[in-house]
Amino acid sequence: MIDTSQIYSIIHQLPVSLISIIVTNVLLILGFILGKLLLYKYENAIKLFAYFSVVISILFVLYFVSILWFSISNLYLGNAVYAAIFPIFLFLPFITGHFASYEKVHFYTNIQILTLIISLLLALSFI
Amino acid sequence: MGQSLDFEFIHEDKCKRAVLLFHGMTGSPFEMKKMGKALYDADFDVFCYCLPGHGTSPINIKTVRWEDWYTDSTYHYRELTQKYDEVYLGGLCMGAVLALAIAAEYREVRGIISLSTTLFLDGWTIPWYNFLMPIGVHTILRYYYSFPEREPYGLKNEALRKKIAALQKRNTEALDNYPMSCIYELLKLSKYTQKNMFKVKAPILLMHAKEDDLTSPKSAEFVYKNTGSSIRKYIRLEDSYHLVVMDNERDFVFEKSIEFLNSLSNFAPQNYNSASIIFESEGL
Repeated sequence: MIDTSQIYSIIHQLPVSLISIIVTNVLLILGFILGKLLLYKYENAIKLFAYFSVVISILFVLYFVSILWFSISNLYLGNAVYAAIFPIFLFLPFITGHFASYEKVHFYTNIQILTLIISLLLALSFI
Repeated sequence: MGQSLDFEFIHEDKCKRAVLLFHGMTGSPFEMKKMGKALYDADFDVFCYCLPGHGTSPINIKTVRWEDWYTDSTYHYRELTQKYDEVYLGGLCMGAVLALAIAAEYREVRGIISLSTTLFLDGWTIPWYNFLMPIGVHTILRYYYSFPEREPYGLKNEALRKKIAALQKRNTEALDNYPMSCIYELLKLSKYTQKNMFKVKAPILLMHAKEDDLTSPKSAEFVYKNTGSSIRKYIRLEDSYHLVVMDNERDFVFEKSIEFLNSLSNFAPQNYNSASIIFESEGL
């Protein structure tokens, strides 16, 4: 049996920045999976994709802010390794975007999802 | 389909001067046709070709790169230089940026008509979430997102606007949205052109609407200040939006363009009074 009170106490002990990284990560992964499923089916639904992209962009902003917040606070606390690892994930969406093309959009979306999963696993490993 | 949108207005008697026009982002040669006709009537042979990715399915525009536009345009330009003594360039929106990019490389360009030059996307119809653009443009999201084109469709003239809206519902040559991937390529072209602006030595006439809905006069002002041309003229339009070749002041735009090109040409009609043209920089 899962002891929910224990889970609550663990969450309460976690830094807000780490919780924020985990939550935005999960939402981004779900968002990209959804986008991948809908892209070709509803390609002409311009407004739908406009709102979808705005939401994902806002999530990206929150994700980047959370990463910076987590890294800076760890740097301040003297955890140099923690502080150094996460900023890599700030650049990965842009590196993926740089190489992406419309013909390979599914492939590069998978790469994007994969990098988000790695970042999520890394964040979970800090618990 | 793209090929059929191209137009060439050629005089029967051998004409020695030609104008190569470039249409705007997600547009088609259709939007340049009236200007083409006006220039033809003023004794210029006029050419306008559909840019790669345009005039076909919306998917095609997502697969092209700015280098494709540039290569295609320079190909047409070089072809015209073989046949004509004087070749002028003219463009609207992204077409104006292309004309500038070509003029930066080819010094023999005789003159440029730069209309609603789009170096920056900062017009008043750009959505409130524009601040998210760097994320939208530089990540995989650019293949998901398109700016929906909305009223006023670049037109201040309401009657024309209604016509365009109806045409868009029937989805004709022009797209009713700006795919982010296309904007990404435009911004790369813009960056390249800005970097090479000082190399542009050809005389230039800039016309930009004060209330341009897609790109503010900042773009035209940037060109005016940074171009290497010794002959430059900037006219700010008071009663138009982005599509200056279709809007309220289109006749004025055509008239000023013809006047400017004639002032540069060695083959201007004899009844043309070159003394009426002011060569000095004016505008800012």
